[in-house]
Amino acid sequence: MSLLQVNGLVRRFGGVVALRDVELTMEAGETLGMIGPNGSGKTTFVNIVSGHLASDAGTMLFDGESITGASPHQLAARGLTRTYQAVRVFSGLSVARNIETASLLRRDARAGAGAGAGRADGATVDELAEWLRLDRLMGKPAGSLTLFEQRRLELLMRLAQRPRLIMLDEPVGGLALTEVREMIELLAQLKARCSLFVIEHTMRVIRELADRVVVLMAGEKIADGAPDEVLRDKRVVEQYLGTVHA
Amino acid sequence: MSDATLLVVASTLSTGLILGAIFALVAAGVTIVYGCVWLPNASNGQFFLLAALAAWSLTGAGLGSAAAIIMVLLLGLVLSLGLEWLLVRRLYDVPNRNVACFVLTLGLTQIMAGIFSMTWGRWSDQYTLPPLVSGITMIGPFPMTNNRILVLLIALVVLAASFALLRYHRYGRALRAVFQNREAAALRGVDVRAVYRMSFLLGSSIIFLGGLLFALAYSFDLTVAWTMSVTAFAIMIVGGPGSVLGALVVGMVFGFTQAIVSIFASPTAATFSYLLAMLAMLLFKPTGLFLR
Amino acid sequence: MSARRWAVALGLLALALPFVLEGNRFLAFVYSIVMIHLIWANGMNLLYGYVGLMPLMFAGVAGVAAYAMIYLTRSHEWSFWLAAPMASLGASLFGVLLGLPSLRLTGFYFTLCSLVIQTVITLAFVFFPTFTNGDTGINQIAPPQAPWGGALSGVWMDETLAIVAVLSVLLCGWIVSTRLGKRFMAIREDDVLAEVLGIDVVRDRIIAFFIVSMFASIGGCLFAVTIGFISPRSFDVLTSLNIWLFVAFGGRGTLIGPIIGTIVLAPIPYLLQELQGFKDVLSGVLIIVVTLLMPGGVWGELLRWRDRRRARRALAVGQT
Repeated sequence: MSLLQVNGLVRRFGGVVALRDVELTMEAGETLGMIGPNGSGKTTFVNIVSGHLASDAGTMLFDGESITGASPHQLAARGLTRTYQAVRVFSGLSVARNIETASLLRRDARAGAGAGAGRADGATVDELAEWLRLDRLMGKPAGSLTLFEQRRLELLMRLAQRPRLIMLDEPVGGLALTEVREMIELLAQLKARCSLFVIEHTMRVIRELADRVVVLMAGEKIADGAPDEVLRDKRVVEQYLGTVHA
Repeated sequence: MSDATLLVVASTLSTGLILGAIFALVAAGVTIVYGCVWLPNASNGQFFLLAALAAWSLTGAGLGSAAAIIMVLLLGLVLSLGLEWLLVRRLYDVPNRNVACFVLTLGLTQIMAGIFSMTWGRWSDQYTLPPLVSGITMIGPFPMTNNRILVLLIALVVLAASFALLRYHRYGRALRAVFQNREAAALRGVDVRAVYRMSFLLGSSIIFLGGLLFALAYSFDLTVAWTMSVTAFAIMIVGGPGSVLGALVVGMVFGFTQAIVSIFASPTAATFSYLLAMLAMLLFKPTGLFLR
Repeated sequence: MSARRWAVALGLLALALPFVLEGNRFLAFVYSIVMIHLIWANGMNLLYGYVGLMPLMFAGVAGVAAYAMIYLTRSHEWSFWLAAPMASLGASLFGVLLGLPSLRLTGFYFTLCSLVIQTVITLAFVFFPTFTNGDTGINQIAPPQAPWGGALSGVWMDETLAIVAVLSVLLCGWIVSTRLGKRFMAIREDDVLAEVLGIDVVRDRIIAFFIVSMFASIGGCLFAVTIGFISPRSFDVLTSLNIWLFVAFGGRGTLIGPIIGTIVLAPIPYLLQELQGFKDVLSGVLIIVVTLLMPGGVWGELLRWRDRRRARRALAVGQT
């Protein structure tokens, strides 16, 4: 059974069709990359799957159960979470409080330790904080951190939820080159912990992380396959890579 | 129809038209400031009342109605400029400024209400302005005072002018650009703060004019301020924030509603119905009936 | 002294003051006014300071509870001690029902919606005089029964108010320290992010709204029996705005802020009873000052000033 299965997703804004019959499946443990020019519907797609936006048509299954029309907090309870293109943390609260808030309603909080069994990682929040090098920043207000630190905090908060799928909307957006390098390494290590869905413009991220790539163009899926194949696909090169990243 | 019925119908029609036009005018003033700059001015009713009261004092001091109107409009302009400089401009860069501005103008409402009750409230409790022009015109079988016809015409002309300004003039385009994307507009060379200031001045002046016209057409008391505030917000929400056309249509509907309801029940019943209309709109379609 | 000791000392002082002020009728009256408004300010703070919603219908809910309490005690001869909780429960459920759809809205739209609801409630008070006696208001409201028979009045009434006020502060502090309180603060900071982290924002807002309505309602019932007279004007939008001002002026989202705000501001209208207009101007000016110059309130600005000083000192130490 696929982890995520999206069938015939349609979304219109006024007269403009933002998504046209998009089909997509994703297996557990897989890292899926999504690329496409600006305005091709990538963020709209994530907004719909993560429950921020209603679709006009189409169905969505997560782990075999319907999530069509579910709200973000219901999805969080099932283990589907996301990040935003513009980094989003509780900037008025301390780093520690941010993390605490994220763990308040993590999936196995109520069920006790047993529910976490059968998962590859049993990492505690402290271990995660050390791994993401946030352990020394706990007392600081999240708003005073650098962008890269905030991105790492965002990741930590998502992991504290114990998700099964994280949808990342441009995880290296706005980062400096060395930071991009580091972020890719962090995400590569993250792949072992949960499934990732990554929207990116930076091809390096997609090439190094994605097991499979989907290309969106004007709301339509025009390619779906292994990164090497897709990035060599003539249509993709002409319409997207050729024009944007020449 | 008997003569008595005819008279009731005639007066209801004229009241509906005039009230509707004035409602539309004030709502247009509010909607321009809110829809374009995200500053909801809760004290619009007090501005409205201030204009009416100032005109009352000036005409009471022996000035002609026309001269008083011009004086009051100038005064309104100066006052709005001062207010913009002192308070409103401090909110332009505040995130979430619509709540802050709403609260701020609620404070302003309290200040003005306090001042009015300590000054004009002591001098009189019902205020009437001498008419701008005298005489009566028969429109078909309906008699109507020339004064009210003039009031109606001025209101409609100003409404049409502000509609045209927002839709077709360079300023209106700049305003829409700022509304859609402030940063992009600034990059393209639009002076964002100047546009904000212009909108505030324009909106406030229209509200002042609304108060003047109301005072010319009807006698009034201090309670008109709060009723006007609520009504203007109701019209703005139902008509769609930022839409002058919406303000005109919904304002007219509300004006006629008030005129008709007042025959059978107190005007408060009409206020009740606006409030419910606004509530329903806020809950189910906060973008309003008309697009901006 | 630690914060906890300060809190205990303050609480004991609040409970002891009625006995100290017993001889002075005026001061005792001002004290009882402050205590009632403290209950209200705590409720307002919970919603405005911790959940981030500004409910202008607050006083309306309090009014519904007060009128319902009077109806129950007069027409059905219930005891105040039964009528007040039942009326509060009823008014809060009514408030939640009215506010339910608007709790999906945020920011200005929520505030505007609550203003409309408040205005409708006020109009209803005026135009349904069967329960409210319209604009004239209801006077000679009987004080609550004392457990030892007779009417609860004087120092024991003040003591009751003090106890409820202290309890309201404690309750507020407790709620804020629970998981629920932490969810509230997450919603205040960023409701979209809170939702993604698994928080059912609308449900939590409803819970908050109910708790806050209970604070408003109990305060309303106590207000009615303490003053002995209520009219639609006792519970109009200006009352809501005033309570909001206590919280905003003292410092939203802190426990001590609303206490400061209430002690400083609540007595003013009663000291300036002759100068109705001047009172309005004063609170209007305060609203503007708080909004523009000290969004953190007195306490918030104090904390900020302290932090800045510490930071500067740390910097100075670092340089030497």
